[in-house]
Amino acid sequence: MTQATLSREEELVGQLRSQFPEAIKEAKVDRAHRITVVFEKDHLLDIATFMRDKLGFDHVKGVAGVDFPTHKKIEVLYFAGSYSRPQIQDFIVILKAELPRDNPAIASAVSVWPSTHYHERETFEMFGVQFVGHPDLRKLLTLDNWEGPPPMLKDVKFPEMGQR
Amino acid sequence: MTTTPPSPPISVSKIEPSTLDVSVGPQHPGSGHMRILIRIDGDYIVSADPDIGYVHRGCEKIAEYRNYVSNIPHLERPCIADAIHLNWGYVLPIEELQGVEVPPRGKYIATIAAEMNRIMSHLYGTAIMAGVFSGHTTIFMWGFGDRDLFIELAEMLTGARLTYSFLAPGGPRRDLPFGFEDRLTKLLDYFERRIPEYDRMFFHNPTIVARAKGVGVLTREDAMKLGVVGPVLRASGVEYDVRKAEPYGAYDDLEFEIPTFKEGDSWSRFLVRFEEMKQSVRIIRQALKKMPKGPIARKAPLVAPEGEATGRVESSRGEIAYMVMGDNSDKPYRVKIMNGSFRNLMGIPFLLRNVHVGDMPIIYGSLDYWPVEADR
Repeated sequence: MTQATLSREEELVGQLRSQFPEAIKEAKVDRAHRITVVFEKDHLLDIATFMRDKLGFDHVKGVAGVDFPTHKKIEVLYFAGSYSRPQIQDFIVILKAELPRDNPAIASAVSVWPSTHYHERETFEMFGVQFVGHPDLRKLLTLDNWEGPPPMLKDVKFPEMGQR
Repeated sequence: MTTTPPSPPISVSKIEPSTLDVSVGPQHPGSGHMRILIRIDGDYIVSADPDIGYVHRGCEKIAEYRNYVSNIPHLERPCIADAIHLNWGYVLPIEELQGVEVPPRGKYIATIAAEMNRIMSHLYGTAIMAGVFSGHTTIFMWGFGDRDLFIELAEMLTGARLTYSFLAPGGPRRDLPFGFEDRLTKLLDYFERRIPEYDRMFFHNPTIVARAKGVGVLTREDAMKLGVVGPVLRASGVEYDVRKAEPYGAYDDLEFEIPTFKEGDSWSRFLVRFEEMKQSVRIIRQALKKMPKGPIARKAPLVAPEGEATGRVESSRGEIAYMVMGDNSDKPYRVKIMNGSFRNLMGIPFLLRNVHVGDMPIIYGSLDYWPVEADR
């Protein structure tokens, strides 16, 4: 992939950077069609609203948690995409927030992107991330058969499955 | 470390005098166990709350304990009707991390296998989710009978009927076996002759049209807002298909169309799958003709470097994306699965509102929702 073909990605990164010079800690083009944006967790709704209304990113494909016990943080990743603008349907913009591991909390994006509803419920259940303002933050998958810490955290180990 | 609240021993909710809460399930509606809690007022569904997780097996957690290659068999299990796509979506980000490029012939073989799988999956969806749910036993027999012919060829190609584990990082495991192309061409000839019969017997059968037309309408705006994907999205008029948006495999070289419908009702969701099967036949024929010679796979390392990659393919139930995070070892640090069924779950509470209880099977069936894929 040559450098010239990444101009659309660079332009999008530039737009986000100039709109949120303080909220965005890092924005980079991973490869063609993929952009990663690391942002301050308090600005999620501003960035999400801007991306939805001005850039056309109308849905979220998924919300992922990643646990980093050595860095004492939990990362939350939003995979935003677009249906309504055909020229950017090939993009996945990965919005990444770093949350403290002892009290992971971030605003819920459901009011901006209703498509995050079940994804946030799953991340709440699997990583213990509190999505403040979520209309219905309940356990989703492991109701009745899992008690204890959120199962996807790295300190929850299953030795019978082998070494990690 | 934080803890999630313990599960309540029993759930209590306040109800209106005129409404009644009904638990539909947990049952196995042809694709895996799930339950929907519906609140009914007379013959109408007021609201619905899908209760999923009966077939959750922690695929993402298991994936952190297995090395990259031995993850393939269990990560394709969640949707056995669509194993190639679950397999392919997982392999793409690993190849990206390792910098391995699949040879052209390998891409064509994967494309043929994937399109055969799409036909099989849509036949399954038509037979069970649409046919049985609308009480149409003939289409159940026809769909399953014709699906089995494709399964036999898939077995010839991969060695397994349903769970193929066919694609590894670097390319497919086998080249086309001797005589495969002839048999597949004959099967496609037969299947194309069957298509008008399917149309008369099921898709334009007045009893099916009466049951499904105008039922469970999802408008274009709502579909985009809810983030539904795949045939459900295309039936609402949104032209979105990963095979066109971000072509992978051999799709860049092949000509095909994305069928869309404007109506957004259950009938158009059936029809999208029907039209997609025709396009799949077209894709396989071209791929067989254009198939280049050469190696099918490259050797990929067992270890993936540090970093993360997101790859996606268009599965039969919509876009399936995998985020794979490597940490210089032979096991992934994190695998995140974003699949079509879990995203289409948003459609269930939305569509099961102010509809007849009797329309519930048609609406549920038209979503082609696969609980095991959603639960992972």
